[in-house]
Amino acid sequence: MFELTSSPIDPAALRTRLAAPEAGALTVFEGRVRNHHQGRPVARLEYEAFDEMARLEGEAIVAESENIHAGATVLCVHRTGTLQIGEIAVWIGVASAHRQTGFAACRHVIEELKLRLPIWKKEHHPDGASEWVNCTVEAGSNAAGDDTHARQVALPEIGPGGQARLAAARVLIVGLGGLGCPAALYLAGSGIGHLTLVDGGKVERSNLARQILFTTAEIGGPKVVAAAARLRLHHPAGRISAHAGDLTAGNARTLVAGQDVVLDCSDNFATRFVLHDACLALGVPLVQAAVHRFEGTLDVFQRGAGGCLHCLWPGRPAAELDFAGNCDGAPVFGPAVGVLGVMQAAEAIKLVLGLEGLAPRQTRLVNLLDGTQLAIERPVRADCPVCARLDQLKAATEQLAASDAALLIDAADVSALGLSARVIFLTEPGDDLSAPGMARTVPAHDLARLRELAADGPLVLACRHGLRSAALARMLRAEGMGAVRALAGGNPPAGLQSFLR
Amino acid sequence: MSLPSRKLQVRFFAVLREQAGCSSVTVESFALTAAALYAELQSRFPALTFPAALLRVSLNERYADMTAPLSAGDRIVFIPPVAGG
Ligand SMILES: [Zn+2]
Repeated sequence: MFELTSSPIDPAALRTRLAAPEAGALTVFEGRVRNHHQGRPVARLEYEAFDEMARLEGEAIVAESENIHAGATVLCVHRTGTLQIGEIAVWIGVASAHRQTGFAACRHVIEELKLRLPIWKKEHHPDGASEWVNCTVEAGSNAAGDDTHARQVALPEIGPGGQARLAAARVLIVGLGGLGCPAALYLAGSGIGHLTLVDGGKVERSNLARQILFTTAEIGGPKVVAAAARLRLHHPAGRISAHAGDLTAGNARTLVAGQDVVLDCSDNFATRFVLHDACLALGVPLVQAAVHRFEGTLDVFQRGAGGCLHCLWPGRPAAELDFAGNCDGAPVFGPAVGVLGVMQAAEAIKLVLGLEGLAPRQTRLVNLLDGTQLAIERPVRADCPVCARLDQLKAATEQLAASDAALLIDAADVSALGLSARVIFLTEPGDDLSAPGMARTVPAHDLARLRELAADGPLVLACRHGLRSAALARMLRAEGMGAVRALAGGNPPAGLQSFLR
Repeated sequence: MSLPSRKLQVRFFAVLREQAGCSSVTVESFALTAAALYAELQSRFPALTFPAALLRVSLNERYADMTAPLSAGDRIVFIPPVAGG
């Protein structure tokens, strides 16, 4: 349970509420107002909450914690208003059968709360000055003293410019196993601005030997939750998004769209093919690794470089490849996944920085048993249907971008470029979908569907007033889908009938 | 036929409330996304200088993407870095 209160917190009363005969442990955290912050004396604090959302978000955090740490009963109370030195600002109590659950759940709640709870505090200093904590954006106040990345910024290949590119970059990591854990740590450490983690699995004891983001405290909990919490401690300035589910054909393109680089750290061929196809369709570079016993392979796939995963395994079903290869549960040498995961992070960082990486179509074989490395050329199959389709898509994208860089396209050019079949009318709630001209429509808010369509080739968006279509086209282009255009001017649906044949 | 501009309810907290000089405002906006709306608000409230890059947004009391589309009647709160606990 989560509560907000403007009255002083009474810990004794709260402890009583958590009394239960089966609870052998009561773990309590009290956050108190202290008389100093970052070397300055503090006289008092003023807490301001976005009340409605704080209650929802607080309840969600408590529920997540109870869900992940089975057997924990959590009570959390946060104070608002003006607090004097020594007063309790937040109280978290966890009743559980055993202490491990209590400590882990309590820690989870306070860390998540500090990241997500919409509560702000203003420090009042004895000299009368005041400031909102974490919100001071004076030039250099945080940045100047921050030497987190000093050692890599000193590299001429990176420098402050490269560091800024890393901070603006988005990287997707699919799979948080032996490859994904070290890759994520090094990417967070390098200062990647936004990491998205995808994994539907839970932490198991047999993972701990290789999956270095996890400890015994997280066994049984979702991997992405434990990983995100760990990475946030490591890299507080970055954004970490967690998707607790598997990558599927249904969500792959939505997850890949807008990323600068994608890492395939999965352990099965079904995921590998789905992710590969989404990355190549959207033109996002893919860094893939796989490990078998003492050996690993590292590959970078990029649209237009020639040679895809289907060239390598023509017509082989994923299940057959898994049986022959490195499926879940197969014997594996721990350091081999560590080395390959770190190599994936290195390739991803170089892709963001525009530094020379692995040669196109090169597979790097790393053998940890005899200590050798080998580079072999991937085959390019002239009759590969996937490569042929990707080449078409790339050519169409480039042609459209080159023929006219403008966002808007008029009706005559739609016909001239043969794009009539690619006109989509954006609908709003309440639209009559049976009206004339409503043959090919997508709700304006269905970004996932629009991204899918855009990934299939050139797209022309239309809407009644021409504003929403232009804005969505601009947004999709910013995500790298350069072949999206907006039909100039407002277009009542009936006026589109001529296109939609 | 629906109008392209929509009524949106915006509330300000903490540093944003102080910069905007008010705690809520209802706007008629053409902005399609929260990011575009913040830019509109910055031209309307010149003292609203807090950098957009440091903001998150809540749409109807839930965290949302700054690029998520806005609909008529949405309740929007821009969230500067939080400091609970
Ligand atoms: Zn191919």
